[in-house]
Amino acid sequence: MSDDARRLKPVDVVVVGGGWAGSIMAKEMTEAGRTVVMLERGPDRSTAGEGAYPASIDELEANFRYKLFQDLSKSTVTIRNNASQTALPYRRMAAFLPGEGVGGAGLHWSGVHFRMPPDDLRLRSRVIEKYGAKFIPEGMNLQDYGVSYEELEPFFDRAEKVFGTSGEAYKVNGQVVGQGNVFAPSRSDHFPLPPLKDVYTAHLFRKAAAEVGFHPYSLPAANASQQYTNPYGVQMGPCNFCGYCSGYACYMYSKASPNVNILPVLRRHPLFELRPNCHVLKVERDSTGTRATGVTYTDAEGRVVTQPAEIVILTAFQFHNVRLMLLSGIGRPYDPVRNEGVVGRNFVYQNVTTSVVWLDPRVETNQYIGAGGGGVAFDDFNSENFDHGPLGFVGGSPVWVNQAGVRAIAAAHSGGPPGTPRWGSAWKAGMIDTYRHSLRIDAHGANMAYRDVYLDLDPTWKDAYGQPLLRMTFDWKDNDIRMNRYVVDKIGNVAKAMGARNVHLGMREFGRPFDTRQYQTTHLGGGAVMGTDPQTSALNRYMQSWDVHNVFVIGANAFPQGTGYNPTGMVAALAYWAAHHIRTTYLAHPGPLAG
Amino acid sequence: MRGGWTSGLRHMAAALLVALSAPVAPARSASTQSASIQGASTGSAAAPGTPGPGAQPQGMPLPADLLTRGEYVARAADCGACHTVPGGAPFAGGMAFHMPTGTLYAPNITPDAQAGIGQYSEAEFIRAIRQGIRRDGATLYPAMPYPSYARMTDDDLHALYAYFMHGVRPVPAPVVQDGMHWPLSMRWPLTLWRRLFAPDPAVTLQGAAARTFSDPVVARGAYLVEGPGHCGACHTPRAVTMQEKALTAEDGPLYLSGGAPVDGWRPVSLRGENRTGLGRWSEQDIVRFLATGRMPLGAAFGGMTDAINHGTQHMTADDQLAIARYLKTLSPTTPASAPGWAYDPTAANALHAGDAGARGARHYVDSCAACHRTDGRGYPTTFPPLAGNPVVMDPTPDSLIRIVLEGNTLRATKQAPSAFVMPGFAARMDDAAVADTVSFIRAAWGNDAPAVNAADVARIRRSLSPEHPPATLPMN
Amino acid sequence: MAPGRRQFLGINGSGFISSRRRFMQGLAGVAACGTVSGTGAAAPPTPYTPVFFNAAEWNFLLAACDRLIPADANGPGALALDVPRFIDQQMTTPYAQGAQWYMAAPFVQGPDNLGYQLPYPPRDLYRRGIAGMNAHATTRHAKPFAALAPDVQDDLLRAAEGGRLVFGDVPSAAFFDQLLANVMEGAFSDPIHGGNTGLGGWTMLGFPGARADFMDWVDRYGAHYPLGSVSITGETA
Repeated sequence: MSDDARRLKPVDVVVVGGGWAGSIMAKEMTEAGRTVVMLERGPDRSTAGEGAYPASIDELEANFRYKLFQDLSKSTVTIRNNASQTALPYRRMAAFLPGEGVGGAGLHWSGVHFRMPPDDLRLRSRVIEKYGAKFIPEGMNLQDYGVSYEELEPFFDRAEKVFGTSGEAYKVNGQVVGQGNVFAPSRSDHFPLPPLKDVYTAHLFRKAAAEVGFHPYSLPAANASQQYTNPYGVQMGPCNFCGYCSGYACYMYSKASPNVNILPVLRRHPLFELRPNCHVLKVERDSTGTRATGVTYTDAEGRVVTQPAEIVILTAFQFHNVRLMLLSGIGRPYDPVRNEGVVGRNFVYQNVTTSVVWLDPRVETNQYIGAGGGGVAFDDFNSENFDHGPLGFVGGSPVWVNQAGVRAIAAAHSGGPPGTPRWGSAWKAGMIDTYRHSLRIDAHGANMAYRDVYLDLDPTWKDAYGQPLLRMTFDWKDNDIRMNRYVVDKIGNVAKAMGARNVHLGMREFGRPFDTRQYQTTHLGGGAVMGTDPQTSALNRYMQSWDVHNVFVIGANAFPQGTGYNPTGMVAALAYWAAHHIRTTYLAHPGPLAG
Repeated sequence: MRGGWTSGLRHMAAALLVALSAPVAPARSASTQSASIQGASTGSAAAPGTPGPGAQPQGMPLPADLLTRGEYVARAADCGACHTVPGGAPFAGGMAFHMPTGTLYAPNITPDAQAGIGQYSEAEFIRAIRQGIRRDGATLYPAMPYPSYARMTDDDLHALYAYFMHGVRPVPAPVVQDGMHWPLSMRWPLTLWRRLFAPDPAVTLQGAAARTFSDPVVARGAYLVEGPGHCGACHTPRAVTMQEKALTAEDGPLYLSGGAPVDGWRPVSLRGENRTGLGRWSEQDIVRFLATGRMPLGAAFGGMTDAINHGTQHMTADDQLAIARYLKTLSPTTPASAPGWAYDPTAANALHAGDAGARGARHYVDSCAACHRTDGRGYPTTFPPLAGNPVVMDPTPDSLIRIVLEGNTLRATKQAPSAFVMPGFAARMDDAAVADTVSFIRAAWGNDAPAVNAADVARIRRSLSPEHPPATLPMN
Repeated sequence: MAPGRRQFLGINGSGFISSRRRFMQGLAGVAACGTVSGTGAAAPPTPYTPVFFNAAEWNFLLAACDRLIPADANGPGALALDVPRFIDQQMTTPYAQGAQWYMAAPFVQGPDNLGYQLPYPPRDLYRRGIAGMNAHATTRHAKPFAALAPDVQDDLLRAAEGGRLVFGDVPSAAFFDQLLANVMEGAFSDPIHGGNTGLGGWTMLGFPGARADFMDWVDRYGAHYPLGSVSITGETA
């Protein structure tokens, strides 16, 4: 295929994927004076187009016809719970919703924008320090990232300033400065914008959590609490709590997106070229196999072409990055039987369950009011903020009210309290009561990496381009279920303090397998992780392939295991971190950045 | 600008249909010297008829900055707004002016000898710009704002000529002329009009030289606004015979006091009226507006979008300031005793309490308040305020109605890379609903403009031409 | 209005007009019945001729929708909300032909939690499912579904929901889930898609619809939001 492909004029850098990571890397590389081609397999998108008011405020099209999401008819994944099963195609959108098109999922995400907790970055070391190596369960591939919070801090800061993130700091330069998360590490600066207002349910949660003795804080949100101009000179409007974030382009230009926050400048840059509707098939390598020569892709007209480049940066969604590495032979594929190889290893998800609290029926919770990243959380049971010793599990979970705006069809599907029929008059009564008078609390937990949970290429099913689908082998493990149940139990106390009339604690159940039919989260991670040991990581700590030094891979694929936080803030910081080292070191001295 | 002539020529045609006859006057010499505000004139114009192209004899190098200066003058005079088609080669012409009397196409002004102006001598070029006389002696359609350009200095025109001869790529494609129907297919009525109304450059330049300014910044601003900027072409009212009623600040308070609506856009007063002019805009507000199309009290729309896009955003900060300072010298046409705008919270309080019972209030809440807020203050400089906005309080509601129907795009500029798009509501609201909404906006928050009715909306709706689709949507 | 602008707003002229007409027709239907909500009386749907479903299928759909969201004291039912019309109109979209689903063979059945594995897009599920429901009803009760008493219909729907029926190679739960999902969509999506007539679904829920601006309400804790709903085309309730 590649031999017949038409060869295009070489460029310095080719970026595969037009989301947050791709836009950041393209911006950084053009700033470094390099010519950049960004390939995006989906269409070009903009706020003015996809976010036109009020036509875009259409829940059916956005959330049930998946207007802005990946076209599964062309490419999907197969899923099984364990290696003894036949993995089956993920044929309809449900459990997770990958994005597609310029801006990627960054156009239609919610906006929760975290930094990674310092302990999570060195979780293996931390757990061994605190509890001893034997504490790590058999089969758990617990690892460190190989990069510290202190090293990443300037890049977390940079990303927040580019995104226009709203939040309240706890510590700046070691000094306590505000009512932020007491567990959060010190920052070099405040958030660029003050926190969003609390919606009513978040306000109740904040009060109740404090009463119970926890430490509530405002979720850091890339939904601007006021008008904002970022360091690139682009402007954001303020969030008006319209409740249409997830699945939508923000018509207020107030939710950070690559389209609003980076691309207006990038598109004008003479060294930058965006090519939408271009599906990358393979990273090409030279005869030694240790150097990439460019990528081969199917262009908008269906022609197979090769784009030569000095540097190839993969910035597609987590599992697309992993698949592209497998299809291109970059890095050794993971073998779960021998626990050897690195590409596909340490595939993780996020361990999210939702509880519902019903309040006095005279109180309206107005759940349609919301901001995707807004809300109140407490971290008392996240990361290593609590003593795991007597509990016997690894990992934790922040707990929050993140009322992003519950819309009508979603409310109808959610229905009433457990036990309520899904239809008929009883459903109607329960559903209306629930919509008007309840609130939802999430435990947004970490998912650890295990030896027998991994990604590889499916032997049977293929995509529209004739390439094998990626295969996921995934299930929940007892460690993670115990963690979830421990944390969710705490929600009961908070609900009581809120004066709940009824509570449903949403918990993970032992023995109930991962269910692809229920939406959970699109926070998938791992599969091509970063680290300091080429035996257990596909990428070095600069996001550079250990084996092919001019390939950099940016995404949540680099997370060695899951975290309780949403991944985007970390992905953006890793992009700026990698770009910094490419600019300061690699461009002048191409070669491995870590030995 | 060009919009002004869409309907302007329509009126002019009517005016000139009165049986008049006069011979084509011999062209006057254009080799007028005048004191340039920029300093001494550097070039002396050649006699008419000297063959082109090029002002510079063969082998003599151009002064290093001449082309740069010429390009800058072209920006300041906004030549590209008419002579460059979006996406087309610079200055290759072809911009269409659709009028009932026919279609006029802006000519190719690249230095191509056949299709463009390559054969123009510098003197012929200057004569065309200042006096509207083509190389062959015919009169240019006054869509070309030569009554304003008559004030341009020799120095600027020399640089402009050099730029068009040496800094612009020749494009051999001719612009096909001319779709005009009789009587405007004849050039002689234009000549007559020109003789009657276009100023004599010699007199103009003498007058300019004699004018004294205590502040050289204001002097520079006067030159830019009255001369190359040709702001009055849109913002000054015109007589029935279509000449601007005032060409400079010295001509009295009609100058820049607001022009007639054009295609539903009403050019506002640029004088010091508190409610309907620039009375509450600071110098820095105006500078910011010229550079970015947005400032805390308002945002650009209509023809001004092009003027900013092609022109003012490219001007130096000093020149933007000069324009601002000059505009701030223009006295209001309203009496000093007229009460200024002050915010009135009544409407906001009602909406905040959930009372959308006032005429148009529910439409406002359903379609407008998301961006412009129930308190009308908007989110400057992302979404402009409606409270206290001169465009909203303008006696003529055309602009407001048209924006509601058609929407507007605030384009990106060099300094403000974010574009913002307001969608049109023509499909969502019928005429009565638009009238109610616009009436609400014009009376709320301390605004004091009279209500509008459905017939006003119907008139504007009919005028929206499907031949003017919105520019490609910005990609952010 | 310029065509580009129409496209941009996502509303084409004729679509808008027909949506308006449907709205008026919807109101007429409501008026003819006297009332929609509060009395429990079932309102008939707007007169509508289906383009996808045949007469037998349409009768099933009307009857099933009426049971899945019955009119009652809490608000209008699926018929007054024109949910059957919504579903019929959806059947002509790419969605109903499976254009957004991965439909490559082989189709291998596996555990439920690994998701839908049938080769049938929504249109086929409806065709097979409705035929199966009616066949089952006729075998058991000698009448098609629509002719059965409401409590018998409920029993059959519950049996289908619980996967206790099989329609050839279509498990009844697969059909029922498809039907229920589309019923919910029809009752609660923007009326531009043909359902939620008169914004009755949103009003019943207390959902403001396409206003999408709560800057004034975000910190009014526990308060009742007083403004009625609005749709994409500007229809209000």
